[in-house]
Amino acid sequence: MREMIKMVIVLTILATFSGSLLAAIHSKTKDRITNQILKFVKGPAIRKIFKEASNDPIVDRFDIKDGDETRSFFVGVFEGEPRAVAFETFGKGGYGGEVGLMVGIDVKEDKVVGVGVTTHAETPGMGAKAETDPSFVAQFEDLSLEDPFKVTQDGGTINALSGATLTSRAVSLAATEASGIYQKLKPQIEEKLKNFKK
Amino acid sequence: MLEKRDLLEQQTPLEQKKLIVSHAPFYHSGRRVTERSYHTMLAALPALLLGFYHYGMPAISVVCLSISTAIFWELAFNLVAKRTITIGDGNAALLGLLFAMLLPATTPWWAVITGTFIAVVVGKQIFGGIGSNAFNPVALAIAIMMVSYKELFDFDTALLNYDLEFATIYPLKAAKYFGTASLDSFNLVDLFLGRQLGGIGATFGLGLMLGGIYLMLRGFIRWEISLTFLAGVYLAAFVFNLFDPVRFAGPGIHLLTGYTLIGAFFLATEDSSSPVNIIPMLVYGAAGGIMVVLIRNIGAYVDGVVLAILVINLLSPLLDKIRPEALGKVM
Amino acid sequence: MAKTLTQEFVKGLWDEVPPFRLVLGLCPVLAVTKAVENGIGMGVATTFVLVCSNVLVATLRKVIPSKVRIASYIIIIATFVTIAELLMQAYTYPLFKKLGIFIPLIVVNCIILGRAEAFASKNGILRSLLDGLGFGIGFTLSLMALAAVRELLGTGDLTFWEKPIQIMGPWFQPFSFMVEAPGAFIALGLMLCLMNLVGKK
Repeated sequence: MREMIKMVIVLTILATFSGSLLAAIHSKTKDRITNQILKFVKGPAIRKIFKEASNDPIVDRFDIKDGDETRSFFVGVFEGEPRAVAFETFGKGGYGGEVGLMVGIDVKEDKVVGVGVTTHAETPGMGAKAETDPSFVAQFEDLSLEDPFKVTQDGGTINALSGATLTSRAVSLAATEASGIYQKLKPQIEEKLKNFKK
Repeated sequence: MLEKRDLLEQQTPLEQKKLIVSHAPFYHSGRRVTERSYHTMLAALPALLLGFYHYGMPAISVVCLSISTAIFWELAFNLVAKRTITIGDGNAALLGLLFAMLLPATTPWWAVITGTFIAVVVGKQIFGGIGSNAFNPVALAIAIMMVSYKELFDFDTALLNYDLEFATIYPLKAAKYFGTASLDSFNLVDLFLGRQLGGIGATFGLGLMLGGIYLMLRGFIRWEISLTFLAGVYLAAFVFNLFDPVRFAGPGIHLLTGYTLIGAFFLATEDSSSPVNIIPMLVYGAAGGIMVVLIRNIGAYVDGVVLAILVINLLSPLLDKIRPEALGKVM
Repeated sequence: MAKTLTQEFVKGLWDEVPPFRLVLGLCPVLAVTKAVENGIGMGVATTFVLVCSNVLVATLRKVIPSKVRIASYIIIIATFVTIAELLMQAYTYPLFKKLGIFIPLIVVNCIILGRAEAFASKNGILRSLLDGLGFGIGFTLSLMALAAVRELLGTGDLTFWEKPIQIMGPWFQPFSFMVEAPGAFIALGLMLCLMNLVGKK
């Protein structure tokens, strides 16, 4: 009986100690990790979309609450005024699960500035080309938000990557979702952008 | 006692393994490794000569370099590992020859040397020399080179500068990427007589078949393996062709192009990596043939013969478990 | 039989170097040695976990009841692995991305549990520290050696801190088989063969 109690006590103390240590380190590194992810995962995609922006879109960002979720919007300043935002959405149905897509939208003209794939688990050389092949994502540039984005097989205008229709479909889905979110949150985005000018 | 065992293990060539027993059946031909090697080389000669005729000097130099470096690597490994020198048994030369026969005539020298190193040292000697290798050394070397240097094995570009009297497109590649319609210009007789692109000694169907029959009659290779291998290719290709004749080439094309024939007669039959009982041999050959067509039709590689042979090499010890029950029992 | 402190440290470097002599911890050895940089990162992370867990296990060796010792070791090791993972995420994110799943998998690396069970649970703190350090450095060096061979043959470069340095010159044709998975097994086999050749004398 004494041994039993000792076991329980030792394990409890160890687990408590371990838990609190991890919690402490987690809270210490949390901000840095978010920054690192921004810098290395979302950063390159955003910079590619806003390559002519005069500000650093990763620093100039704001959050908007959308139901339960909080979305981060990255602001692109063109010709002296903040006229575009970029944010991340996820398209279901890729070959290796969800495909993360950063979508940049011109707030003045309601059209896509550009898109870039962020996170994915697609097959290298096939679906992964969505991230590496610039000519695929370039098809989204300057498209209007009014129609949903579709690949040609589904009656749309996006030419799917050869051998990777599923991935291309997931990317289009993510873009369509982005346009939905944008239209829903547009008043709040414009509000935030106005404040940004000051 | 311990020292004695160590001594035995150090001297691994066959003749020292007096107390090592493997299970029956044994095929005794009354001949030695040396004879076997030279007869196999002789059997490969017709196909090789046609290769020389088509591709000229470069083909001859690839073959010479391949044979000589294979012998060199064998000698070097024998010396480093302090084993008996085994270059005299001709097996290294045979490996070099077969390796070269699968290469395009324009293979650069460094690829030939690397390839024979893989075949002789990694494929054969590391496992303990002739008779102990788990994989066919030549198939292993070709597979590794194919993974590393895809462009070397793209026969279309490798043989671009040749002006031959037949269509200079590699039939298997055409079938894979452009459908069977692109194969209309080939007729089976031409393919059988070696009027197609491919490895130096891998295209001449008639020559390879003659060589194979010669080896079978002399008892160097087992007809069960070769025939079931070809039957496997034929049946699998036939089924695919039935299913979708536009996408998948017919059985004749699969039998006569790429490495199918040289694989069936010279690679799959290699003794230490193939089974020894009749039923396992039949299964082994058929599995290999079906695998070839699977890789060619729905796999990533244009020609799957060497990969299929490596897979069946892996299966071979398992297949050999299918054997007649022993009479009597051990108490 | 008692070893001096120096011997405790040195044994992990050569006589009992984990992947090549004990043939332990092969999963990371085979999986991450595509580039020298990955090898170093993995080795340093493992060394950190090994040293910390060895010290903590040695400190608590009289307190931990023997019936739950494995569970306790796993808690300790998992804690340090998670710390290593968080720190790498915060400070060396590109490396963390490359090593991916193999960082959390350090938990099940049998070298670490093996040292905790076989050494740290029976020896003092200082000895355990030196033992962990020796094994960790030995592990790192082996990973580096294997990664160097594979990367050099497979790509012709050696990568340090994101910068590939061309070693082999333009005439070299990269033997890309070596950076593929089967190449790892063959390279490891040749390495073991070499170690036995050198060590047998």
